[in-house]
Amino acid sequence: MEAPEVQTRRWDPIVKITHWGIVGVVICNALLVGDGSIAHIYAGYLLAALLALRLAWGLIGPASARFRSFPPSPMRAIKHIGDILAGRKEEHSSHNPLGALMVYAVWTCLSVIVATGVAMSGPPPSVEFPISTSILVSRDEHGEEEEGQHEEGERGHGGESGVGESEEALEELHEAAVNLLYLLVFLHIAGVAFEAARSGRRTLTAMLPGGK
Amino acid sequence: MKDRAISNIRRGDRHITTVAVIVVIQAIAAAFFLADAVVDISTGELSLHIFTEMLIAFALLAGIGLGAWQTAQMIEQARHDADALAVARGAASQLMDLRFRQWGLTDAEAEVALFSLKGFEVAEIARLRNVAEGTVRAQLTSIYAKSGVSSRHALLSLFFEDLIEIEHH
Repeated sequence: MEAPEVQTRRWDPIVKITHWGIVGVVICNALLVGDGSIAHIYAGYLLAALLALRLAWGLIGPASARFRSFPPSPMRAIKHIGDILAGRKEEHSSHNPLGALMVYAVWTCLSVIVATGVAMSGPPPSVEFPISTSILVSRDEHGEEEEGQHEEGERGHGGESGVGESEEALEELHEAAVNLLYLLVFLHIAGVAFEAARSGRRTLTAMLPGGK
Repeated sequence: MKDRAISNIRRGDRHITTVAVIVVIQAIAAAFFLADAVVDISTGELSLHIFTEMLIAFALLAGIGLGAWQTAQMIEQARHDADALAVARGAASQLMDLRFRQWGLTDAEAEVALFSLKGFEVAEIARLRNVAEGTVRAQLTSIYAKSGVSSRHALLSLFFEDLIEIEHH
């Protein structure tokens, strides 16, 4: 008789929603809205929520979403590279060992981005309606104020310049982590493309709605 | 039959997705609320307002935790059901092959028996196999004779008898 058509789904809805939600926020904050704008800060908090949920899901979610299913193990990653070179194809119920290292790298990177972002912006700024889109997405007076403070700090007393410096250090760390994230995203897409070419389209469609 | 099984699974998936979306929205709401509440709680004195905020924060987090846990249970259950269904299908088809061989059905008769067990009517089986209805009826009669039953219901119950175990307590 026919083989069972019902294959186990690898990624559950929470994994998919948090994945694409984070993709959306990164695109929004990298390309669409101004650095430090109100929209940027709100999107950042959205990212924080999605990341926190995904990490909690790693503890209480179904088996394939749990950290236990994809431990960060360089040894297993090396063995997996050996498998690839030898042309062996193993079925993994969760991330493959190389993908697992990527996932932890991305999560670490995102955590640094969120932490430095929150440290710079404080709680989400209150917005009074109606508000024009240009104010929402541009470097608003909030950012200018900070710039002003910087200049003052640099010119003023040692204590204030300390605040300015730590703010600057946060900003640099934020940007460095973001640049590292771009590199990881590039590697991730390259990895998925490679895996799809090696073991079939299922790698590509697994994360899409309805994909298995 | 199979379509119905798959549509049941789809319905289950939709249900899981709905609950998952709600959990995600709750998590987003909680992040914004907590960001505000933490500032209030760290700067303000212990007041009724702060007490209320802490209560809301606790309720939100508990709700998310519980919702997420239930979603995880539903997903695990759905996966378990899908696996069980696949195993049951494999077992049923093995059992049919075995019985058909034991009864000495010809290949054509085995196919007709399978269609009949899957719920197809004589006319449908005739159309599927490109033969006259009379041929199918003759084949069914032969199948009933070889298996020692007198109707399709009785044929079906031969398999259910083997597949269903009634526990005596």
